[in-house]
Amino acid sequence: MIKHIMLAAIVIVIAIFSVIQIVSEKVPFLSAGTAYAQDEWKKEFDALCSETQDAMLMSHEKLHDLVARCDALKPRIESLDESQRKVMLKRLKMCKDFYVYVLQSKESK
Amino acid sequence: MKRIVLVVFVLLTVTTVTIAQTGLKKRRPLPFEYGKVILNNYSEKAGLAPVVFDHWLHRARFTCRLCHVDIAFAMKAGTTGITASDNMSGYYCGTCHNGKRTFDGKKIFESCGIKYPLADNKQCARCHSLGKNVDRKYDFVKFTEGFPKERFGNGINWEKTEADSYVTLVDYLEGVTIQRKPLSIPKDITVEPKQAGMPEIIFSHKKHAAWTGCELCHPEIFVGLKKGDTKYSMTEIFLGRYCGVCHGNVAFPLLDCQRCHTKPVEHDTSALLR
Repeated sequence: MIKHIMLAAIVIVIAIFSVIQIVSEKVPFLSAGTAYAQDEWKKEFDALCSETQDAMLMSHEKLHDLVARCDALKPRIESLDESQRKVMLKRLKMCKDFYVYVLQSKESK
Repeated sequence: MKRIVLVVFVLLTVTTVTIAQTGLKKRRPLPFEYGKVILNNYSEKAGLAPVVFDHWLHRARFTCRLCHVDIAFAMKAGTTGITASDNMSGYYCGTCHNGKRTFDGKKIFESCGIKYPLADNKQCARCHSLGKNVDRKYDFVKFTEGFPKERFGNGINWEKTEADSYVTLVDYLEGVTIQRKPLSIPKDITVEPKQAGMPEIIFSHKKHAAWTGCELCHPEIFVGLKKGDTKYSMTEIFLGRYCGVCHGNVAFPLLDCQRCHTKPVEHDTSALLR
Protein backbone atom coordinates (compact mmCIF):
# COMPACT_ATOMS: atom_id res chain seq x y z
CA MET A 1 0.00 0.00 0.00
CA ILE A 2 2.74 2.45 1.05
CA LYS A 3 4.71 1.50 -2.04
CA HIS A 4 1.75 2.36 -4.26
CA ILE A 5 1.24 5.71 -2.55
CA MET A 6 4.93 6.59 -2.93
CA LEU A 7 4.92 5.57 -6.59
CA ALA A 8 1.81 7.66 -7.23
CA ALA A 9 3.38 10.62 -5.45
CA ILE A 10 6.54 10.36 -7.58
CA VAL A 11 4.48 10.16 -10.77
CA ILE A 12 2.43 13.20 -9.73
CA VAL A 13 5.56 15.23 -8.89
CA ILE A 14 7.16 14.32 -12.24
CA ALA A 15 3.96 15.21 -14.06
CA ILE A 16 3.73 18.60 -12.32
CA PHE A 17 7.37 19.41 -13.19
CA SER A 18 6.84 18.36 -16.80
CA VAL A 19 3.77 20.58 -17.12
CA ILE A 20 5.67 23.56 -15.62
CA GLN A 21 8.57 22.92 -18.00
CA ILE A 22 6.32 22.77 -21.09
CA VAL A 23 4.27 25.81 -20.09
CA SER A 24 7.35 27.92 -19.24
CA GLU A 25 8.87 27.15 -22.65
CA LYS A 26 5.67 28.23 -24.42
CA VAL A 27 5.09 31.27 -22.20
CA PRO A 28 8.41 33.14 -21.76
CA PHE A 29 7.42 35.32 -18.81
CA LEU A 30 7.10 32.21 -16.67
CA SER A 31 10.81 31.44 -17.22
CA ALA A 32 13.43 32.42 -14.67
CA GLY A 33 13.29 36.23 -14.77
CA THR A 34 16.97 37.13 -14.56
CA ALA A 35 18.19 34.67 -17.16
CA TYR A 36 15.49 35.74 -19.56
CA ALA A 37 16.21 39.42 -19.05
CA GLN A 38 19.95 38.83 -19.56
CA ASP A 39 19.30 37.02 -22.77
CA GLU A 40 17.12 39.82 -24.06
CA TRP A 41 19.52 42.71 -23.31
CA LYS A 42 22.42 40.76 -24.80
CA LYS A 43 20.46 40.07 -27.98
CA GLU A 44 19.60 43.76 -28.27
CA PHE A 45 23.22 44.73 -27.57
CA ASP A 46 24.51 42.35 -30.23
CA ALA A 47 21.95 43.60 -32.73
CA LEU A 48 22.87 47.22 -32.05
CA CYS A 49 26.63 46.94 -32.06
CA SER A 50 27.03 44.45 -34.88
CA GLU A 51 26.47 47.13 -37.49
CA THR A 52 29.21 49.65 -36.81
CA GLN A 53 31.15 48.58 -39.92
CA ASP A 54 28.17 49.56 -42.09
CA ALA A 55 27.43 52.84 -40.33
CA MET A 56 28.75 54.98 -43.18
CA LEU A 57 26.22 53.44 -45.56
CA MET A 58 23.23 53.87 -43.26
CA SER A 59 20.44 56.42 -43.63
CA HIS A 60 19.91 59.23 -41.10
CA GLU A 61 16.75 57.51 -39.88
CA LYS A 62 18.51 54.22 -39.30
CA LEU A 63 21.35 55.93 -37.39
CA HIS A 64 18.87 57.94 -35.29
CA ASP A 65 17.04 54.72 -34.50
CA LEU A 66 20.25 52.95 -33.45
CA VAL A 67 21.24 55.84 -31.18
CA ALA A 68 17.78 55.86 -29.56
CA ARG A 69 17.95 52.10 -29.03
CA CYS A 70 21.41 52.46 -27.43
CA ASP A 71 19.94 55.03 -25.03
CA ALA A 72 17.03 52.74 -24.25
CA LEU A 73 19.35 49.81 -23.53
CA LYS A 74 21.62 51.75 -21.16
CA PRO A 75 19.39 51.54 -18.03
CA ARG A 76 19.05 47.79 -18.51
CA ILE A 77 22.83 47.40 -18.61
CA GLU A 78 23.20 49.68 -15.59
CA SER A 79 21.23 47.17 -13.55
CA LEU A 80 23.72 44.36 -14.17
CA ASP A 81 26.34 43.26 -11.67
CA GLU A 82 29.42 45.46 -11.32
CA SER A 83 31.92 43.71 -13.60
CA GLN A 84 29.43 43.09 -16.38
CA ARG A 85 28.07 46.62 -16.07
CA LYS A 86 31.54 48.22 -16.41
CA VAL A 87 32.41 46.22 -19.51
CA MET A 88 29.07 46.42 -21.27
CA LEU A 89 28.55 50.11 -20.57
CA LYS A 90 31.93 50.89 -22.09
CA ARG A 91 31.14 48.73 -25.12
CA LEU A 92 27.71 50.30 -25.54
CA LYS A 93 29.19 53.79 -25.23
CA MET A 94 31.76 53.06 -27.93
CA CYS A 95 29.20 51.88 -30.40
CA LYS A 96 26.67 54.61 -29.61
CA ASP A 97 29.35 57.32 -29.85
CA PHE A 98 30.38 55.95 -33.21
CA TYR A 99 26.83 56.10 -34.57
CA VAL A 100 26.49 59.66 -33.28
CA TYR A 101 29.83 60.51 -34.92
CA VAL A 102 28.73 59.11 -38.28
CA LEU A 103 25.35 60.83 -37.99
CA GLN A 104 26.98 64.20 -37.32
CA SER A 105 29.43 63.55 -40.12
CA LYS A 106 26.56 62.98 -42.56
CA GLU A 107 24.62 65.98 -41.28
CA SER A 108 27.64 68.27 -41.62
CA LYS A 109 27.94 67.49 -45.35
CA MET B 1 87.67 82.78 -0.43
CA LYS B 2 89.02 82.48 -3.95
CA ARG B 3 89.45 78.75 -3.37
CA ILE B 4 85.77 78.34 -2.39
CA VAL B 5 84.62 80.20 -5.51
CA LEU B 6 86.89 78.00 -7.61
CA VAL B 7 85.54 74.79 -6.02
CA VAL B 8 81.93 75.91 -6.55
CA PHE B 9 82.72 76.85 -10.16
CA VAL B 10 84.37 73.47 -10.84
CA LEU B 11 81.45 71.61 -9.24
CA LEU B 12 78.92 73.54 -11.29
CA THR B 13 80.89 72.94 -14.49
CA VAL B 14 81.19 69.19 -13.84
CA THR B 15 77.46 68.91 -13.03
CA THR B 16 76.48 70.84 -16.15
CA VAL B 17 78.73 68.77 -18.39
CA THR B 18 77.49 65.51 -16.85
CA ILE B 19 73.85 66.46 -17.33
CA ALA B 20 74.55 67.62 -20.88
CA GLN B 21 76.25 64.32 -21.72
CA THR B 22 73.89 61.85 -20.10
CA GLY B 23 70.79 64.00 -20.16
CA LEU B 24 67.81 64.06 -17.87
CA LYS B 25 65.47 63.02 -20.64
CA LYS B 26 63.43 59.87 -20.46
CA ARG B 27 65.36 56.74 -21.29
CA ARG B 28 64.27 55.13 -24.52
CA PRO B 29 62.77 51.71 -23.72
CA LEU B 30 64.59 48.59 -24.87
CA PRO B 31 62.82 46.50 -27.55
CA PHE B 32 61.30 44.07 -25.04
CA GLU B 33 60.17 46.94 -22.81
CA TYR B 34 58.39 48.90 -25.54
CA GLY B 35 54.63 48.83 -24.98
CA LYS B 36 54.95 47.59 -21.41
CA VAL B 37 52.07 48.73 -19.20
CA ILE B 38 52.19 48.77 -15.42
CA LEU B 39 48.83 48.31 -13.73
CA ASN B 40 48.68 49.29 -10.12
CA ASN B 41 45.18 50.51 -9.32
CA TYR B 42 44.63 47.96 -6.59
CA SER B 43 47.64 45.58 -6.61
CA GLU B 44 49.85 47.15 -3.95
CA LYS B 45 46.86 47.94 -1.75
CA ALA B 46 46.11 44.22 -1.85
CA GLY B 47 49.69 43.34 -0.94
CA LEU B 48 50.70 42.27 -4.43
CA ALA B 49 53.29 43.61 -6.85
CA PRO B 50 51.87 45.73 -9.71
CA VAL B 51 50.96 43.89 -12.91
CA VAL B 52 53.37 44.03 -15.83
CA PHE B 53 51.53 43.71 -19.12
CA ASP B 54 53.58 43.05 -22.25
CA HIS B 55 51.94 44.40 -25.37
CA TRP B 56 54.40 42.58 -27.64
CA LEU B 57 53.16 39.14 -26.64
CA HIS B 58 49.49 40.00 -26.87
CA ARG B 59 49.69 42.06 -30.06
CA ALA B 60 51.39 39.12 -31.76
CA ARG B 61 48.23 37.10 -31.19
CA PHE B 62 45.22 39.39 -31.07
CA THR B 63 44.03 42.51 -32.87
CA CYS B 64 43.89 45.82 -30.99
CA ARG B 65 40.13 45.84 -31.57
CA LEU B 66 39.54 42.54 -29.81
CA CYS B 67 41.00 43.76 -26.51
CA HIS B 68 40.13 47.45 -26.65
CA VAL B 69 36.62 47.14 -28.08
CA ASP B 70 35.27 43.67 -27.33
CA ILE B 71 36.97 43.22 -23.97
CA ALA B 72 36.72 46.96 -23.21
CA PHE B 73 40.26 47.74 -22.07
CA ALA B 74 40.63 51.53 -22.06
CA MET B 75 43.28 53.09 -24.29
CA LYS B 76 44.92 54.92 -21.43
CA ALA B 77 46.87 52.85 -18.93
CA GLY B 78 45.30 52.68 -15.50
CA THR B 79 41.88 54.00 -16.52
CA THR B 80 40.08 50.69 -16.94
CA GLY B 81 40.05 49.99 -13.21
CA ILE B 82 40.43 46.21 -13.45
CA THR B 83 39.84 44.33 -10.23
CA ALA B 84 40.60 40.73 -9.29
CA SER B 85 36.87 40.25 -8.97
CA ASP B 86 36.38 41.39 -12.59
CA ASN B 87 38.95 38.86 -13.73
CA MET B 88 37.43 36.08 -11.67
CA SER B 89 34.01 36.90 -13.17
CA GLY B 90 35.45 36.38 -16.64
CA TYR B 91 35.96 39.99 -17.71
CA TYR B 92 39.06 41.93 -18.80
CA CYS B 93 42.13 39.64 -18.38
CA GLY B 94 39.78 36.92 -17.17
CA THR B 95 38.04 36.86 -20.55
CA CYS B 96 40.89 34.72 -21.86
CA HIS B 97 42.87 33.98 -18.70
CA ASN B 98 40.21 31.75 -17.21
CA GLY B 99 41.92 28.39 -17.27
CA LYS B 100 39.45 27.19 -19.89
CA ARG B 101 40.08 29.13 -23.07
CA THR B 102 42.82 27.75 -25.27
CA PHE B 103 45.33 29.27 -27.66
CA ASP B 104 47.35 27.12 -30.06
CA GLY B 105 45.91 24.07 -28.35
CA LYS B 106 47.20 25.14 -24.92
CA LYS B 107 45.04 26.25 -22.01
CA ILE B 108 45.51 29.90 -21.10
CA PHE B 109 46.36 30.18 -17.42
CA GLU B 110 43.77 31.52 -15.02
CA SER B 111 44.27 35.05 -13.72
CA CYS B 112 43.29 35.89 -10.14
CA GLY B 113 41.79 32.44 -9.69
CA ILE B 114 39.91 31.97 -6.47
CA LYS B 115 41.93 28.83 -5.81
CA TYR B 116 45.17 30.79 -5.68
CA PRO B 117 45.62 32.33 -2.24
CA LEU B 118 47.71 35.48 -2.00
CA ALA B 119 50.46 33.33 -0.52
CA ASP B 120 50.75 31.49 -3.83
CA ASN B 121 53.21 33.98 -5.17
CA LYS B 122 54.32 31.81 -8.04
CA GLN B 123 50.92 31.84 -9.71
CA CYS B 124 50.12 35.49 -8.90
CA ALA B 125 53.60 36.57 -9.97
CA ARG B 126 52.94 35.52 -13.55
CA CYS B 127 51.22 38.91 -13.87
CA HIS B 128 51.97 40.69 -10.58
CA SER B 129 55.66 40.77 -11.37
CA LEU B 130 56.97 44.34 -11.14
CA GLY B 131 60.29 44.31 -9.30
CA LYS B 132 60.32 40.54 -9.08
CA ASN B 133 62.73 38.19 -10.73
CA VAL B 134 60.17 36.12 -12.57
CA ASP B 135 60.97 33.57 -15.23
CA ARG B 136 58.81 34.58 -18.16
CA LYS B 137 57.21 31.77 -20.12
CA TYR B 138 57.83 33.67 -23.34
CA ASP B 139 61.19 35.19 -24.04
CA PHE B 140 61.03 38.26 -26.28
CA VAL B 141 64.17 37.48 -28.29
CA LYS B 142 63.22 33.85 -28.84
CA PHE B 143 59.59 34.66 -29.59
CA THR B 144 60.36 37.34 -32.15
CA GLU B 145 63.28 35.51 -33.74
CA GLY B 146 62.84 35.63 -37.50
CA PHE B 147 60.19 38.36 -37.43
CA PRO B 148 60.86 41.20 -39.92
CA LYS B 149 62.89 43.82 -38.12
CA GLU B 150 62.54 47.59 -37.77
CA ARG B 151 64.68 50.26 -36.20
CA PHE B 152 62.59 51.50 -33.29
CA GLY B 153 59.97 50.39 -30.77
CA ASN B 154 60.04 46.64 -30.35
CA GLY B 155 62.46 46.50 -33.26
CA ILE B 156 59.80 44.51 -35.13
CA ASN B 157 57.87 45.48 -38.24
CA TRP B 158 54.54 44.18 -36.98
CA GLU B 159 52.68 44.99 -40.17
CA LYS B 160 55.10 42.90 -42.23
CA THR B 161 55.15 40.23 -39.54
CA GLU B 162 51.44 39.71 -40.07
CA ALA B 163 51.56 40.16 -43.85
CA ASP B 164 54.30 37.52 -44.13
CA SER B 165 52.26 35.16 -41.92
CA TYR B 166 54.70 34.95 -39.03
CA VAL B 167 51.65 35.64 -36.89
CA THR B 168 47.91 35.29 -37.42
CA LEU B 169 45.94 37.73 -35.35
CA VAL B 170 42.76 36.57 -33.69
CA ASP B 171 39.87 39.04 -34.02
CA TYR B 172 37.02 36.91 -32.76
CA LEU B 173 36.36 35.37 -29.36
CA GLU B 174 33.46 32.99 -28.98
CA GLY B 175 30.91 34.37 -26.55
CA VAL B 176 32.49 37.82 -26.51
CA THR B 177 32.79 39.17 -30.04
CA ILE B 178 29.65 40.00 -31.98
CA GLN B 179 29.47 38.30 -35.36
CA ARG B 180 29.52 40.93 -38.05
CA LYS B 181 30.10 41.41 -41.72
CA PRO B 182 33.63 42.17 -42.93
CA LEU B 183 34.61 45.80 -42.66
CA SER B 184 34.43 47.90 -45.80
CA ILE B 185 37.59 49.96 -45.66
CA PRO B 186 37.34 53.73 -46.21
CA LYS B 187 39.75 55.43 -48.61
CA ASP B 188 43.27 56.45 -47.60
CA ILE B 189 43.74 60.06 -46.51
CA THR B 190 46.61 62.38 -47.28
CA VAL B 191 47.49 64.85 -44.58
CA GLU B 192 49.51 67.94 -45.40
CA PRO B 193 52.35 68.57 -42.98
CA LYS B 194 52.57 72.02 -41.41
CA GLN B 195 56.26 72.27 -42.19
CA ALA B 196 57.18 73.02 -45.80
CA GLY B 197 59.38 70.42 -47.45
CA MET B 198 58.19 67.56 -45.24
CA PRO B 199 56.70 64.67 -47.23
CA GLU B 200 52.93 64.41 -46.95
CA ILE B 201 51.43 61.81 -44.63
CA ILE B 202 49.45 59.04 -46.25
CA PHE B 203 47.10 57.66 -43.67
CA SER B 204 46.01 54.16 -44.58
CA HIS B 205 42.60 53.21 -43.27
CA LYS B 206 43.31 49.71 -44.52
CA LYS B 207 46.37 49.28 -42.33
CA HIS B 208 44.70 50.75 -39.27
CA ALA B 209 41.09 49.58 -39.46
CA ALA B 210 42.05 45.95 -40.00
CA TRP B 211 43.51 45.95 -36.50
CA THR B 212 41.38 48.56 -34.78
CA GLY B 213 37.93 48.59 -36.35
CA CYS B 214 36.07 51.92 -36.51
CA GLU B 215 34.92 52.70 -32.99
CA LEU B 216 38.33 52.37 -31.38
CA CYS B 217 39.54 55.58 -33.06
CA HIS B 218 36.29 57.45 -33.77
CA PRO B 219 35.28 59.59 -32.04
CA GLU B 220 37.41 58.99 -28.92
CA ILE B 221 40.76 59.73 -30.57
CA PHE B 222 39.85 61.43 -33.84
CA VAL B 223 36.72 63.47 -33.36
CA GLY B 224 36.78 65.32 -36.69
CA LEU B 225 33.89 64.57 -38.98
CA LYS B 226 35.67 65.09 -42.26
CA LYS B 227 39.21 65.44 -43.52
CA GLY B 228 40.91 68.45 -41.98
CA ASP B 229 38.39 68.86 -39.15
CA THR B 230 40.71 67.57 -36.46
CA LYS B 231 43.55 70.05 -36.16
CA TYR B 232 46.58 68.63 -34.48
CA SER B 233 50.28 69.26 -34.32
CA MET B 234 53.35 67.11 -33.87
CA THR B 235 53.70 68.60 -30.38
CA GLU B 236 50.28 67.23 -29.42
CA ILE B 237 51.10 63.89 -31.01
CA PHE B 238 54.37 63.73 -29.04
CA LEU B 239 52.31 64.47 -25.91
CA GLY B 240 50.36 61.27 -26.55
CA ARG B 241 47.29 62.63 -28.25
CA TYR B 242 45.82 61.70 -31.66
CA CYS B 243 48.29 59.38 -33.49
CA GLY B 244 50.40 59.52 -30.33
CA VAL B 245 47.82 57.51 -28.37
CA CYS B 246 49.29 54.40 -30.02
CA HIS B 247 52.41 55.61 -31.85
CA GLY B 248 54.96 56.16 -29.14
CA ASN B 249 53.41 53.70 -26.72
CA VAL B 250 52.71 50.49 -28.60
CA ALA B 251 52.74 51.07 -32.35
CA PHE B 252 56.01 52.18 -33.97
CA PRO B 253 57.31 55.34 -32.31
CA LEU B 254 57.30 58.87 -33.67
CA LEU B 255 61.05 58.83 -34.29
CA ASP B 256 60.33 56.76 -37.39
CA CYS B 257 59.26 59.85 -39.38
CA GLN B 258 59.30 58.32 -42.85
CA ARG B 259 56.86 55.59 -41.98
CA CYS B 260 54.06 58.20 -41.91
CA HIS B 261 55.57 60.99 -44.00
CA THR B 262 55.68 58.77 -47.04
CA LYS B 263 54.49 60.80 -50.02
CA PRO B 264 57.46 62.20 -51.96
CA VAL B 265 57.72 65.99 -52.03
CA GLU B 266 57.00 67.41 -55.45
CA HIS B 267 59.46 70.22 -56.09
CA ASP B 268 58.62 72.93 -58.58
CA THR B 269 61.35 72.38 -61.17
CA SER B 270 59.77 74.51 -63.93
CA ALA B 271 62.06 77.45 -63.16
CA LEU B 272 65.11 75.24 -63.61
CA LEU B 273 63.92 74.01 -67.00
CA ARG B 274 63.36 77.48 -68.41
